[in-house]
Amino acid sequence: MVDLSHAKSAELTGPTAGIAGRLAPYALPIFLVLMIIVAGIISPAFLSANNISNMLLQAAPLGIVVIGQAFVIILRGLDLSVSSVMATAAVIATGFSGQNADVVPILLIAVGIGVATGLVNGLLVTKRSVSPFLATLATMIVLQGIRFAYTQGAPSGNVPPFFRTLGSATWYGIPYNLMLLVVLGVIFWILLAKSRFGREVYITGGNPTTARLLGINADRVTIIGYIISGGLAAIAGLVLSGYVGIVDNWVGRGFELDSIVAAVMGGISLAGGRGGIVGGLFGAAVLIVVFNAVLLFGLPVQFQIIIKGIVIVAAAAFYVRRTQ
Amino acid sequence: MSTLVSAGMARSIRKNQGVIIVFALLVALLVFGAVISDRFRTTNNVLNILEQSTGLALVSLGQTLTILTGGIDLSVGSTISLLSTLTSGLINGDASMIAPVIVGILLLGLVIGLINGLLIIWLKVHPLIVTLGTGTVLQGLVLLYSLGPAGKVPKGFTFLAYGKFLGIPLGAIFVVVIFALVGLFITYFRLGRYIYAVGDDDAGARLMGLPRAKVILTVYGFCGFCCALTAIYLTARFGVGQPYTGLNYTLTSITPVVVGGTLLSGGKGGVLGTLLGVYLISLLNNVLNFMDISTHYQLIAQGLIVIAAVSIYVEKRKRI
Repeated sequence: MVDLSHAKSAELTGPTAGIAGRLAPYALPIFLVLMIIVAGIISPAFLSANNISNMLLQAAPLGIVVIGQAFVIILRGLDLSVSSVMATAAVIATGFSGQNADVVPILLIAVGIGVATGLVNGLLVTKRSVSPFLATLATMIVLQGIRFAYTQGAPSGNVPPFFRTLGSATWYGIPYNLMLLVVLGVIFWILLAKSRFGREVYITGGNPTTARLLGINADRVTIIGYIISGGLAAIAGLVLSGYVGIVDNWVGRGFELDSIVAAVMGGISLAGGRGGIVGGLFGAAVLIVVFNAVLLFGLPVQFQIIIKGIVIVAAAAFYVRRTQ
Repeated sequence: MSTLVSAGMARSIRKNQGVIIVFALLVALLVFGAVISDRFRTTNNVLNILEQSTGLALVSLGQTLTILTGGIDLSVGSTISLLSTLTSGLINGDASMIAPVIVGILLLGLVIGLINGLLIIWLKVHPLIVTLGTGTVLQGLVLLYSLGPAGKVPKGFTFLAYGKFLGIPLGAIFVVVIFALVGLFITYFRLGRYIYAVGDDDAGARLMGLPRAKVILTVYGFCGFCCALTAIYLTARFGVGQPYTGLNYTLTSITPVVVGGTLLSGGKGGVLGTLLGVYLISLLNNVLNFMDISTHYQLIAQGLIVIAAVSIYVEKRKRI
């Protein structure tokens, strides 16, 4: 699609100096804290332990998807198939036996489907030069069709208690799924920010030609990026099915766009090569806080949607200006 | 006029291998359908296919132009939902309201598209993000207006969808006419040619001093207008508008465009391929129906077609 050169070739603004300039990289955390304070003043219930615990529970599945989305977007792509992978993983988790004894095969099959989807996405993008938008859109549709054909439109079964606990229980107020998010976050942060592979991801996303000149196997790096995204989406689907607790063909609906929005808000540029996991997770946190605050203020749920739309465009515009 | 059209078609065929491939597939599928089922061969079924393809054709036409500039419009689904709900909600069974509401809806569609275009120009944010955002806002707005089907349309209004001229559905005729007009516009008019120039090399087009802003406003404004046409047609067809009427059109409007050989990276393709792509998808669903294959598998088939199409047309490396 369009290359983003029009964003770069626009007139350059001078380096922002002073306090504002130095604070700019921390804009999102500052914004998050301000939002929490304002929400707490308007509605004291917002800061109740119960509500905070609730928000953290909701943040974990989105956060897990955002980690994978971060890899793909830094590699100049995006992954629209994550929601379909999530729902398929959830349908499998519930469609099996509903017994704890089957947790391991459920996990293996779910992650296997996520990895296979990621592999197909990666191969289409690298070997066939298909635009990531179309490649992941197509796998999203195919996977959705397979899921509906498999369940005949009406999935049945129960969520195994293990996933119920993982998705919705807390340990002294700390949700188990948040612990999982933290563990996954640390592992993939190390992979992206500290490892050789991570550097290859940034170089490939920043400039594929440079990557090739440096002897980096850009295709392999990109394919692994999509596999990470697919695998993490499958795990998020299992976690979310535990939170929802019922059988649903549409678990994770909307996560494909929410995860991209969170990543973009977190400073991960769709132009590739820029941003990180921590920013993306802050983006996810902002989204969750906005959703929660809108409901707590007694505003109709439609305002959630409207505010989300405005935030998407505003955040993207903010980063375009900052990176000029 | 007719020589102009055929010359334009010949030129766009030469430049677009997609048109040939899709046309061949279309013929093959027609033959296949005719062989497997007697009922497929009836005039009624052909008219049925044309009728089913009208809504998709109208929105895909607008989408083709945004994609030709290297952009995309992800707000079409919500725009159609909003305009369709407003159409039946505002007419609300009153025949005297039909004309003013139609004019108002067409204008509103145009304005929504122009807002997309202005935001893309001003904010310098990728069209994907801008239209994702505006689409989300519009979805929220339509749900504020109504959570379910709104109002109703009078009997005469459904004529727009079910009326016929010489036995052919009006919608199908309208589609062919508007596709031909847009095809002529992007082939022979200067502003139309600039659409290709901007899509082919945005930075180059800017350096050459082409009116990039005018091109962007034209394609997104027209895309919004096409959404209004789709919304009016669908409201006439279903008899009522509801806040999720357009939901699926956001992504399905892209399928016929890419199947027809227009590249997502911009600058290559055309509306003839899109029209054939629309017919191909409607025909495929129709044939699968005759084979008693459930809609679940139709979904798989549609996804596989996208994969096949985009694998045939190799794109230049792009970002999104």
